[in-house]
Formats: sequence, structure tokens, C-alpha cells
Amino acid sequence: MRPLRSPFRFAGAVAVVLGLAFVSALSARQDPPFPHERHVGLFPVCTGCHQGMDGDPAPVAFPDPSGCAGCHDGVDRARVSWDGRVERPSNVRFDHGAHAAGLARSGDPLPECAACHSDPAGPRMSVDGGPQLATCWGCHAHQRDEHFTPGPDAECTVCHVPMANSGFPLERLLALEPPPDHGVSDFVSEAHGDMAAADATRCATCHVQDRCASCHVDVSREPIPSVAPAPPGMQLPEWESEYPKPGTHDVRAFQGGHAPEGGDVSQCSTCHTQDSCMSCHLQPVPDAIVDLPARADVVAPGVEFDMAPPETHGAPFFLSAMHMNLAAVDPGSCATCHTETFCVACHDGPSDGGYHPASFVSRHQADAWGRSQECATCHETAAFCRECHEQSGFASQGRLGAGYHDAEPIWLLRHGATARQSLESCASCHRQSDCVQCHGTLGAFRVNPHAADFDAERAWAQSPRTCIACHTSNPVGSGA
Amino acid sequence: MRCLAVFAVALASAAVPCRVAAQSFGVRGWAGTSVQAVEMRPVAPVADGCAVGTPCFLPLAEELAVAGTQDVSLTAWGLGVRGLSATLHLRARAGLGSDFAWPRADDHFDALLGYAQWVHGGWLVRLGRQELRSGLGFSAFDGGAVTWRQRAWEAEGFAGRSLARGLRRPANEALAGIEDFLPDESAYLFGGAVRGRFTLGTASLRYQREILADRSGLASERASFDGSAVLPRVRLTAGLDWDFGRRIFGKGHLTASAPMADGRWIVSASAKRYVPYFSMSTIWGFFEPVSYHEVLARAGWSATSDVGLWVSGGWRQYGDTRTTVVVEAMRDTGWRLEAGGAWTVAPTWTLNGAYHLEWGPGGFLNSVDATMRWRASERVGVSLTGTSFQQVEQYRLGDGRAYGGGLSMDADVTSRLSLLAGGSMLRHDRRGDGVASPWNQARAWTTLRLAIGGEAGRTGGMRR
Repeated sequence: MRPLRSPFRFAGAVAVVLGLAFVSALSARQDPPFPHERHVGLFPVCTGCHQGMDGDPAPVAFPDPSGCAGCHDGVDRARVSWDGRVERPSNVRFDHGAHAAGLARSGDPLPECAACHSDPAGPRMSVDGGPQLATCWGCHAHQRDEHFTPGPDAECTVCHVPMANSGFPLERLLALEPPPDHGVSDFVSEAHGDMAAADATRCATCHVQDRCASCHVDVSREPIPSVAPAPPGMQLPEWESEYPKPGTHDVRAFQGGHAPEGGDVSQCSTCHTQDSCMSCHLQPVPDAIVDLPARADVVAPGVEFDMAPPETHGAPFFLSAMHMNLAAVDPGSCATCHTETFCVACHDGPSDGGYHPASFVSRHQADAWGRSQECATCHETAAFCRECHEQSGFASQGRLGAGYHDAEPIWLLRHGATARQSLESCASCHRQSDCVQCHGTLGAFRVNPHAADFDAERAWAQSPRTCIACHTSNPVGSGA
Repeated sequence: MRCLAVFAVALASAAVPCRVAAQSFGVRGWAGTSVQAVEMRPVAPVADGCAVGTPCFLPLAEELAVAGTQDVSLTAWGLGVRGLSATLHLRARAGLGSDFAWPRADDHFDALLGYAQWVHGGWLVRLGRQELRSGLGFSAFDGGAVTWRQRAWEAEGFAGRSLARGLRRPANEALAGIEDFLPDESAYLFGGAVRGRFTLGTASLRYQREILADRSGLASERASFDGSAVLPRVRLTAGLDWDFGRRIFGKGHLTASAPMADGRWIVSASAKRYVPYFSMSTIWGFFEPVSYHEVLARAGWSATSDVGLWVSGGWRQYGDTRTTVVVEAMRDTGWRLEAGGAWTVAPTWTLNGAYHLEWGPGGFLNSVDATMRWRASERVGVSLTGTSFQQVEQYRLGDGRAYGGGLSMDADVTSRLSLLAGGSMLRHDRRGDGVASPWNQARAWTTLRLAIGGEAGRTGGMRR
């Protein structure tokens, strides 16, 4: 057994697949095989019917059925219904003429037809459908120990045509056994991509492009176009799309920053359609997402997401203690999934946001005093708090009534400390003019509300109008 | 309405032919109709005054405050220019009940948001009525904002007519009649921010200045720093603002939180500083309110997949008020304790409960709340709530305990239409305390919400 010589590798290797051709042909045969053994006395040579198969570049592989009628005329012989050889599915690449030419170039004799097509130990014309693989390998050695083992000197294309050209029916497709290297654990996630990039023609031996398109969103991306699509009418199985999560996606911060460098989404489009992104990203989506195909325009479903909040949102105190900081630090992140109306729904909502408990109106006092949350974030003190307090009778109308502040008789003398501690609460009932009654220069007591280190000049420079509310004139210049 | 004009101009710009392909036209948003009714019990002080321990207020006739709110919120894109979108949130309000006006019910119409936004490459341009959220709180304005993003860095600039905090009109218009010493002019807001994303986290620095339109004074000038860092075992968040006008540090916080025991525990500790912020257009800021500093600790425990518990506690100390002590010093410390839990009793039954104890200057609260929720079907949920609280208001009312309960239901009537409705009752047990007036209250609410448009991956497009 000699190895194939590289200049004629292709031509020589076809002998290997000769057997495969017949194996394939037999298994897919639709008509009863021609009874060669019953015609053994009639046809002296094979090429009488199979004209030119011994090296003619344009052979006529099968006789015209009308020739049968020469004998099977219904008078001397019964008519037969053989109507010519039906093209049979095969994924084997074999050409008798090329095979013969290769042999001629290498100086090897052309074997007899029977050497491959008949049982060597049987009578003449005991055509059994074609050579077995071993017949091919009687002359040609496969360059790998295992049939499926790929390599530069054992390419699938030496012996096989692409699956798209095979005409295989569905059952034969389903019967194909996957090569051992398809069984590695990371085959779908990593390995198959590397293999395809290295030699997509190997993939095409057993696959059609439709298989790629059952998972890959963007089939225009190399090397997928190198795999021929199934021809019209080819029956294909129902493939399940499989999207293993790449290791890069497991990085903790991935969800918060997965925009591709430079906006190039070509890698994303392996698994993701625009619709994947829009599970979280709000419309209008970023430019990069628009560059991805839409689900409606592709075969593969793409990765389908349920909108999932980031890890931060699951913390028990996210709403009460965390979200404000995140919004301040990185508002763009919020804007990925939320429009500003989302914020408004709570921060300026008609109370359907469920932020406060139902009885909050009745017990908001302690929260308001303690400022566990900043009321003014959502409520303007005068327009919201005081308006309600005044109507309820809780707010002063001018000078303080005796019943307020627990009816403490000396409250007025003590209120300064409380005012400095919780001035917002004071303002929720009192107008500025209430304070000016005593604190203003025209007030009853002209009590200075400023601390000892109050910078009057600076205050005047910044907001003289406010100074005049109490002082009636420039307090710095007049000393008022 | 000027903001709407700006908005319209921005939309019209979409008609300008553009050489880049645009997304197909789409609209999403929601419309919501809410009606709320609350039984109010106004009081009036006793005309002749009162002695300590005697009734100081007389209850007036009960009134029913009813407010109706209609919201429409829309975002449209595919306006002919790639990256251009428009967002609009309109709200109409009306008081529907007695003379007791629901806060702001007489403010019948607001354009809460109304802006056009264009995103192209690293640029984001926004024009119209918009809102800033930062360590300085919420600031709304009519104007423009430009944000530029380049890799890990982001710079933002903004300018426009300032709108009163929490309102959607200039302060001089919105507060006319309810606030004193208002300036005659509106104010302009401008400023900028720089944000960066680093290996460990994110940081933001912001400056914001608000001046009266006639440049006669400053309304505010502040800056803030906010940061967040994710260390191997700890997440840190921090924020601090500086008030240039008063030359003081304003609010600040530093929080460290860490998951423990494979995430079944999360614990956090915070230090917080709080100082009320007032516009320099009011006299309040010049009264020099003091800060309080607080330490807080929180812990959450996922005991099982069905049971979660949490607890938090804080203690705060107010700053020196530098006021004269008369008779006795005012309390200057406070603390709070909260604990709660959630239990998924069965796949369709969940129980939530919380206890809250707070004691500090101004008020004392001791409350417990519980909610049992039953998911009756994929589309219908029913919640039963119970509450009890006791509060002592240091400066006005007396002691007492209130008990209440409520029932609410939410239903997805269709994939786009949802209904929320409920009611609650509160009864005040005065326990013979003659000082207090009753807080008995009935409340009812309903909200009908319609989703408009939709997006892939969203059920009914109901996400706001």
C-alpha cells in the first residue's frame, strides 16, 4: 500500500471514495438493481453499456433504457420497466475520468471495472453495488488513523462533496455520526468556531449553512458563507438553538459595561439580535444596537432575555439607601433601562408608586423630623407641606397660637435650637414673614438669627434682596 | 408653555433630511388616570388658648379631599434622524372633593418633562424641559444639556431657566401667594459635571449655579462629589456637597456594604451628614441651620429562598445650635430602628412585615406594618394590609395609638391595561388623652394605566 503522491492527490484519492460512492448509491437505491448476472452472456464488456467509464472525459455512465427494448420487446422477451438510472444521493466526490487520468499520469494501470465493482471471488458480472471502503483502501491509504481526524493531508473535500450538493434525504442526514472532536465540552461555545475558522469546508462536508443559521444571527459573518446553504427542497431537521454563555460575559461588571470597543458589534451578532439588547435597552437604542440584525429579519432566534435587574438592584436597601447614589454617579447607566418618566413616577408621582405606605399621611411626622429621606427631593415645602398644613389647621396664620408646640408657655424662648436643628419642619408650617415678625429689624424683638461668625458682607454680595427682607436696607453699610 | 414650544422646535428638526439611516418610527409610554380620596380632619386652635394638658384644638367638620390626576408619558423615536427621540410627560390635576384642596390640585396642568434628545456617537444633546438628578438633588429646567462620552469619561454641560424644586415652574410664578419675599424674576441654572469610570468604580463631580434672571443675586451655588467603588468584598458609595453660598459642606454620606456567606447576608454601615438646603432667595438659609451626623448599620439575611429578614439601626447627633438654653436644653440626639421580613408562604402567597421605631427631636414613632399578598392568578393580585402605630409629636399633639387596615387589588385587565384599586381605614385610639384630636381616616384610591406601544422582551410594554 503506497501513500498518495501529492501532485495527484486529488485524482488518486478518488479511488478511496469509489467504494463510498457505491455504498451510498446502494443505500439510496430506489429501483431494483440491474440484474447484471442474468446478462452475463450478453454483454462482453462493461463499457458496452457504461460507455467511456474507462477514461473518457465525457462518459455516458448508463445506457438509454430504450436499448433494453431491443430484446425485451414483449415478443421474445417480456417488457421491462427499467427506465434508466436515477441520480442517487451521494456525498462522495468521485469521477471515473479523473481517476483514470490520475492513474495514467502516475503510470499505474487502469484497473478492470470488476476490480472495484464485482466480488473478486465471484463469477463475472457479479456486480454487488460497488466497492466497500476497504476496496478503495486496497490501493489508497487514508492519511489518518481515524476517518474523521482532520488534517492538511486528509481533508474531507478530497473524498466528499459539500452536504448541500449531496442530495441526502433527511434520514441520511440524521444518520450521520458526529466526529469525535465534536464531543468536547466546549464544542459549541468555543471549539466549533475555531474549527470553522480553520477550515469551514470540513464543516460543509456534513453541514449546510442552515445549520449555522439556526443559532448564528449574522450568517454573513465569515466563515459561515463558506458553508453552502441547503438547496431548495432539501429536507432539514428541526435544530434547537443553543447559546452557551461565553466566559467573557461572566465578568462581574459585564452587565454594566458591555458596549463593544468602537461600537463594533460583529462579535455580538453571533448570538444577539437587536431584540436581545432591547430586552433591557430603551428605545431609541444606541447606534451599536441598530447595527445588529432584527429578529424578524433572521432565521436564528438569537439569545432571548428576560429583563433582569442588575445585581445592585437586588440589595435589600437598594431603594431606600442605594439608588440615589448610583443615579448621581452614573445616570447614563440608569438611562439604559429607564426613561426619566420612571423617576418621575415616584419622585413626582400621583401616589400610585407605592413608595410611602398607605397610612403615611397620618404618621409622616417622625420621618419628616428625622429626614431619613429628604422630603424636598419630591415635595416643595411651601407648595406641598404648608398648603396642606394650613388647611388642616396645623400651620400658624401669623403670630403663634397658644396651642401649638404642646402649649408650652415658654416655647418662644426655646424655639431657636429646634429651628436650627429642623428648619425644614418649621418651614412646613411657617412663612418667612412669621419669623420676620420678631427677627426683622422692624420686628418686635429684633432678635439676631445669625450665628456669631455670620459673614454679612458675603451674604449681601450674594443675595442683597434676601437681606432686605429683614433689614430693609443694606445691613453692612448701615449697621442695621 | 414655552417649554412645549422648545419641544416642538426640536421635533420639527427631525424633518431635516439626514444622511444616516433612522430607526423606524415607534412610540412607547403609558397613560394613567388616578383618583385618590382622603378623609381629612382639620382642626382649629381653641380660641382662648389652653393650659398644658388641656385640649388645645377643636376638631372641625370632616372633609373629603379628592384629587384626580391624569398622566400621559410618551417617548417617540424614528423621527427621521438616527438617534433622535422625543420624551413628553404631561400631567393634569383637579380637585374633585370638598373645599379641602389636595396639595397642588389647583395647579391644573404640568409638563413634567418635554425634551428632544439626540444621541450620536459619543454625544448626547437634550433640548427642552428636563431634570437633573445628582448629589445635589433634583433640578428641573427649561433649556439644553450636552453630554460627551469618550471611553471611560463623560462630561456634561447644561443651562436653562430654572424651575422651582419639586415644581415645574419658575419659583417666582409657582410660589406666588404661598411664599414671602419672592424675587420678581425667574432664575437661570447652569453648570457642568465630569464623570469617570475606573477599574474600581465610578466618580462624578458636579458644579451648579443658579442666578436670578436680572443678575441681582444668587439663588444657589453648589458642587457635589459622588463616587462608587466595587472592591473585592465591599461596595463603597460616597457623596458630599459643598455650598459655596454658605461656605459649608452640605449633605454627605459614606456607605460600605458587603455580601457575606455566599450572598445570603448583606451588611452595610454608613456615616451620614444632613443639612437642610434652602435657596438663598429665602431667609431660611441665613438662619444657619445645623447639621446632624448619623451612623447607620443595616443587615439583610436571606434565610432561605422563601424567607428574607432585615434590620437597620441608626443614631444621630445634631450640631451645636449655639442658642441660649432656657429652662432645659433641647434634645440633640435621635435614633431609629427598623426590622422587617418577607416570607413566601406559598407560591401565590407572600407576607411582608416591618417594625419601625424612631425617637428624636420633633417626634417619636413606633409602628408595625404587615401585608399579605395573594397572587390570585397571573393577572390578578390582592393585598391585605394592617398597620398600627403610636406617635408622639413633641411640639403639637398628644399620645395615642392608631390601628388600620386596607385592601387593594391590582389586575392586568389586558396585556396593556392594568387597574389598581384599594382602600384603607385608620382608627385612632386616644386612650383618654384629651389633648389629641382624632386621626381617624378613610382613604381610597384607584389607578387605571394603559401601556402605549411596546418593545421586545417586555410584557405589555408596562415598564416605565
